[in-house]
Amino acid sequence: MHSSTSNSEFVRPIPARPWRGILAATVALTVAATTAWELRARAQGYAPRLNDTADLWAEKRSEVQPDSLVLLGTSRMLFDVDLDVLERAFGRRPVQLALVGSTPFPILADLAQDENFRGTVVLDLVPAMFMAPDGFLMESSLKALNRYRQWTPAQRWSHELAVQLEQRLAFLNQEDLTLAKLLENLELPERASFHPPPKLPPYFYSLDRDRRARMTEQAATIGHPVQQRVVNGWLPLFTPPPPPAHIPPEEFRAMMGRAIEARFVETARHIAAIRARGGRVVVVRLPVQGPLLQRENELAPFEPTWGRLIGESELAAVNFADHPELSSFILPEWSHLSAPDSVEFTQRLVPHLQEALHRETQLVAQRKGTVTTGAP
Amino acid sequence: MIFNSLTFVVFFAVVLGAYWAMRSWDARKNLLLAASYLFYGAWNPPFVLLLVLSTAIDYVAGARMAAATRPAARKAWLGFSLLSNLGLLGYFKYGNFLLENFQALLALGGITYVVPKLSIVLPVGISFYTFQTLSYSLDIYRGQLQPTRSFRDFALYVTFFPQLVAGPIVRAIDFLPQMVRARTAQPDRLAWGLFLMTLGLFQKVVLADTLLSGAADKVFGFGGLVAGLDAWMGVLAFSGQIFFDFAGYSTCAIGAALCFGFSMGDNFRAPYAAVGFSDFWRRWHISLSTFLRDYLYIPLGGSRAGLARALLNLLIVMFLGGLWHGAAWTFVAWGVVHGLCLVIERILQAVWGDAAWTERPAVRFGLGLVTFAVVSLAWVFFRVQDFGAAMRMFAALTGLAGNPGTAVLPMREIAQVAVVIAGLLAIHWATRQATIEQTVARLPGWALTGVWSVMLFSLILTQGNGNAFIYFQF
Repeated sequence: MHSSTSNSEFVRPIPARPWRGILAATVALTVAATTAWELRARAQGYAPRLNDTADLWAEKRSEVQPDSLVLLGTSRMLFDVDLDVLERAFGRRPVQLALVGSTPFPILADLAQDENFRGTVVLDLVPAMFMAPDGFLMESSLKALNRYRQWTPAQRWSHELAVQLEQRLAFLNQEDLTLAKLLENLELPERASFHPPPKLPPYFYSLDRDRRARMTEQAATIGHPVQQRVVNGWLPLFTPPPPPAHIPPEEFRAMMGRAIEARFVETARHIAAIRARGGRVVVVRLPVQGPLLQRENELAPFEPTWGRLIGESELAAVNFADHPELSSFILPEWSHLSAPDSVEFTQRLVPHLQEALHRETQLVAQRKGTVTTGAP
Repeated sequence: MIFNSLTFVVFFAVVLGAYWAMRSWDARKNLLLAASYLFYGAWNPPFVLLLVLSTAIDYVAGARMAAATRPAARKAWLGFSLLSNLGLLGYFKYGNFLLENFQALLALGGITYVVPKLSIVLPVGISFYTFQTLSYSLDIYRGQLQPTRSFRDFALYVTFFPQLVAGPIVRAIDFLPQMVRARTAQPDRLAWGLFLMTLGLFQKVVLADTLLSGAADKVFGFGGLVAGLDAWMGVLAFSGQIFFDFAGYSTCAIGAALCFGFSMGDNFRAPYAAVGFSDFWRRWHISLSTFLRDYLYIPLGGSRAGLARALLNLLIVMFLGGLWHGAAWTFVAWGVVHGLCLVIERILQAVWGDAAWTERPAVRFGLGLVTFAVVSLAWVFFRVQDFGAAMRMFAALTGLAGNPGTAVLPMREIAQVAVVIAGLLAIHWATRQATIEQTVARLPGWALTGVWSVMLFSLILTQGNGNAFIYFQF
């Protein structure tokens, strides 16, 4: 009989090799290779910076207080809006929840469903992205939300450690320098039937712990290879994929139509839910220029999308195109402001935002049956 | 906490350092137990209580069973253990599945009743630690094991963090004796353990997550019909992914345990070089297949009651084996496909078992490739969300869909899958008769250094995004 107290026990063999020497040589080689890789990354212009991970987003989402000022939207909100300027103007630091390459719709829905939230939402609305029913724009928001909702203690600790390393090592760049990204750069001749999906433009910003993004100097320099990579990325990204072959075109168009119609209805419902708790929602349209502006308008004609969204919920809105002082900046890569310009832009945006919030406050109060002239 | 995370790197280094710094064996075991609860609680702290409850149930049941003098009392305590363990597993893992099927059954009878959806979070690793605690009680009932008097030792056996959440399923019979005498520090064993951990992480993070999962996700996540080439590459990619993911975890677990001086048996032995399905199950998830053999197949009568009964037993075992993997009929289908393959193989063995031509190397190689192909095709049921998707995939694989389907994989990813799978098959065939220790012992020191360095540097290059291991969900 086996006994838990018997002396017989299973012992795994150990291969007879000079393990201590092998371990020491392995550590030395790995440290040398990693150091060389770090030096190469720096020589290529990379610098230590935080990765915009789902963990960093979850960290910010968990900082949302009932009366927070929350920024939602796309990369334009990340790049163009300066948190320090807004903090000085509104007396509290905004929570940056915008996400690169995303539709902010799921985040808006999440805040609407958060019974504790009765704060202020500033929503950067790019209709062509906001209305996206699924695909990678939706996935990036859902990934971040899922991380927030299921954030384990172990993931929080790993995030803390990762932040410490990312602040010191340039090669820890998840957009450009991971093994997976390096492999993606290997391009082989494609089959005629394969339509490659668009890629997000690569590394061109730094990010701090508050998720304030700043365009790098290279990306902001017209003609620089980095700026060219970014510019060349937009039009393919904003080209819709061909309709799926497995769904008849009419059926697909009808499906998309229903999904977009549902998005209008649900957006109005979520905004109403936030307002019902005393919260406020204002919408901004941030600068876009060049061929990208034209492509966006083709994808999502302005009036039937922006106009309808604003109109249905009687939203207070700030459209950069309506204000010469907001539309006079040169966007180096058509879609985002350079870091210095973003500070100036935010300073010019503040009065418009204050006015919009004031209008929203009055509107919410009117709906509640009271009239107030409360400051924004 | 998952192995491929920065938290684990720090946790492991701290626990390992403290463990070997302590002189008292009791103190070391206490440390390992506390660390194991921390490791598990880092997912979802309240579930630690469930782990403690599961531990307490079998500790008590085992002790009472051994003390009982009447067979009826022994049986009652075994029943208590079985009911408690399987009840917990059933509630957490199969609660909603049972309710959904109850609803479907009523609908078949014309009764419309919508069952309430239970909000149940599946505790990580419950299938693994439940089987471990069960094996303890079953071995005591069968008179093969004396219960341990130390609750701490038993708790450490159940919760030992290297294998707690995804196996290997360690038997008390193999683990408890290792807790009697203090483990001694051996630098070579520590280095070999670290090598195995690196190998396991490399399999998971680099091969499964970086090189294969993208292709598998694109093909299986596509809503329509994929092109034939893409379908085959997707299936092969998932075959490789599931192996590297799960074998990677097991290798890491074995390595981590070795660093603390504990030995665990192999869980995989070159399974894709298996010749036939019984051979496959002697090489794939060995700790589960031997568990099912010893505690289900043999008690059902095994092959002692004639061929027909043996075949039925095989089907029952594989049906339940499929269900163990997940609360969905697609997992059951996967198990039944393997059961049917085992049945066919058993019948063919009865017909041709002694024929000399079956032993020719070319024939065995051919049979091995057929085994790999069928095993890979069976993974379709394991990976899909529903049978409609499975049928679409088989239509794409066979070209019977009537249209060419959509190309979803870039050539770079097709090449990546082809290279990795070809390498995987070559290594499995080259090492099918050898253990990993025998293989490594034949390598020169410089080659080991090179391989180890490449694996470590590749891990650093991936910058680990912390994908959970596939088997955590089971």
